[in-house]
Amino acid sequence: MFLNIDRQNSSSIALIDNDGNRLTYGELAELMHLVGAQVVPRSLIFMLCKNTAGSMAGYLGFVEHDAVPVTLNARIDQELLSDLMSIYKPAYIWTPTEECARFEYEKIYERLGYALLKTGNEIYPLHEQLQLCMTTSGSTGSPKLVRYKRGNLEANARNVAIAFGWTKEERPICDLGMQYTMGLNVINTHLYVGATVLLTTYNLMSSDFWDYIKKERGTNFTGVPFSYDIFYRLHFDRMDLPDLRTLSQGGGKLTDARFRQLAEYAEKTGKRFIPSFGTTETSARMACLPAELSLTKTGSIGMAIPEGELFLIDENGRVLTDPKAEGEMCCRGPNVTMGYAVCREDLQKGDEFGGEYHTGDLARRDEDGCYYVTGRLSRFLKLLSYRVSLDQSERLIQQEFGIECACAGTDLRMNIYITDAKRRAEVLDFIASKTGLYKNLFKVFVVPEIIRNDSGKIRYKEMDAIYAG
Amino acid sequence: MSNQEQYAQIFMDIFGVDESELNENFNFKDVDSWDSLTHLTLIGELEAAFDVMFETDDILRYGGYLNGIEILKKYGVEF
Repeated sequence: MFLNIDRQNSSSIALIDNDGNRLTYGELAELMHLVGAQVVPRSLIFMLCKNTAGSMAGYLGFVEHDAVPVTLNARIDQELLSDLMSIYKPAYIWTPTEECARFEYEKIYERLGYALLKTGNEIYPLHEQLQLCMTTSGSTGSPKLVRYKRGNLEANARNVAIAFGWTKEERPICDLGMQYTMGLNVINTHLYVGATVLLTTYNLMSSDFWDYIKKERGTNFTGVPFSYDIFYRLHFDRMDLPDLRTLSQGGGKLTDARFRQLAEYAEKTGKRFIPSFGTTETSARMACLPAELSLTKTGSIGMAIPEGELFLIDENGRVLTDPKAEGEMCCRGPNVTMGYAVCREDLQKGDEFGGEYHTGDLARRDEDGCYYVTGRLSRFLKLLSYRVSLDQSERLIQQEFGIECACAGTDLRMNIYITDAKRRAEVLDFIASKTGLYKNLFKVFVVPEIIRNDSGKIRYKEMDAIYAG
Repeated sequence: MSNQEQYAQIFMDIFGVDESELNENFNFKDVDSWDSLTHLTLIGELEAAFDVMFETDDILRYGGYLNGIEILKKYGVEF
């Protein structure tokens, strides 16, 4: 059975959510068959995900019954959802019952606060190896999906479990959305070892969240850098959290100061701090730093997880063989997905990555074989860990307003340069709504001209240095 | 600007809503855009505007437009 759900002790608790659901491994296995049996194998299903037992039962059941879920945030922008619907024409939608009103489709099944809707779209061929799809730069309204092949999710679950030393005693606090690669990996990894997954939809800044993790005795937490900004804002280091043994991090780079702060906190309190690194294209995690190195290797993402391999290449694609080196970070392993899709036909394509993925991140390797992400080759930002394409943001603004525009900046803020002063406020509103991100992550600069080189290419670094430095 | 006006303005800016929506129903269970990011921003803006420093419990329990006023009063802000 998928993730070996049926091999765990059937009476231990697999999933707890903050709606009060508690499912044992036995109940979960049964539910997977019940829900899975509602859909035709090899059909595409849009899942509007929430971190609840109902959402999970759908995902696990569909995969078990060989249908292909596309995981989306339940709070997805209506326009993006409509785009995705018309491109990929899913046969079914698995949605929180309260969201049913968004659709005019027939409800054919309901369980644990989720409903299965049948769209009436014809079922079309999907590649035999395709198991799941996830959005990539979904936050700029791109309909691009990452195609997961059979084996990706389980390989990553197994190897991350080994790297982190997870056992069935763990009670992970799963607050990162399950539609998001790392959120799903935290859940898969723990189900794989028979642990008790604590799903939550509570906001990290609510007392509900902290009451929940204390009551349910959460033992590990995985956050993105922003999660830890919140933790420190709440003085979590002064809280009494005796059950919490491991803090893990991924989804973008922590500042060195925050990294040290977490490593020292862990040292002082006898907990573990394990930074990690991954991408949607590599089924979440490809590297992690062993906890005992977190005090000495500030800023490092560590080494490849078992069965995986990290390596660096130069600008000509040659592998750098010196122990100490810097270049584009690449990854090989059973967790590497099969490629992208931008249209329905792409879902019939085979494995295009061939087990090897070039991340577009620049990294350096030290004499002990630990990797450090130092920069980025391709033009995207990670705003609050959401990957936002700069080129796509530029295109969206140009198309909407018919004006000149250049997008640059850092992971802390996107800088948007325009020449038309009258459009400043509208551009800000537009990009915030398109990405679904808060306005203070963007700043619009009205400039006399977009600076270009002789061949017409925009000189982004120069613009940032002059206007936003 | 009075404290009341300033307080309302911060909410209007962060959540992009009209003053008429700021009532007893404006709380984080019912407002979709009230998530951890807007909450963190809100707390930061309120601390800067009213020159206060919230305790953890007050940050966690800052769950609504109206109850926020009561919390600020505890810190000596007059409404």
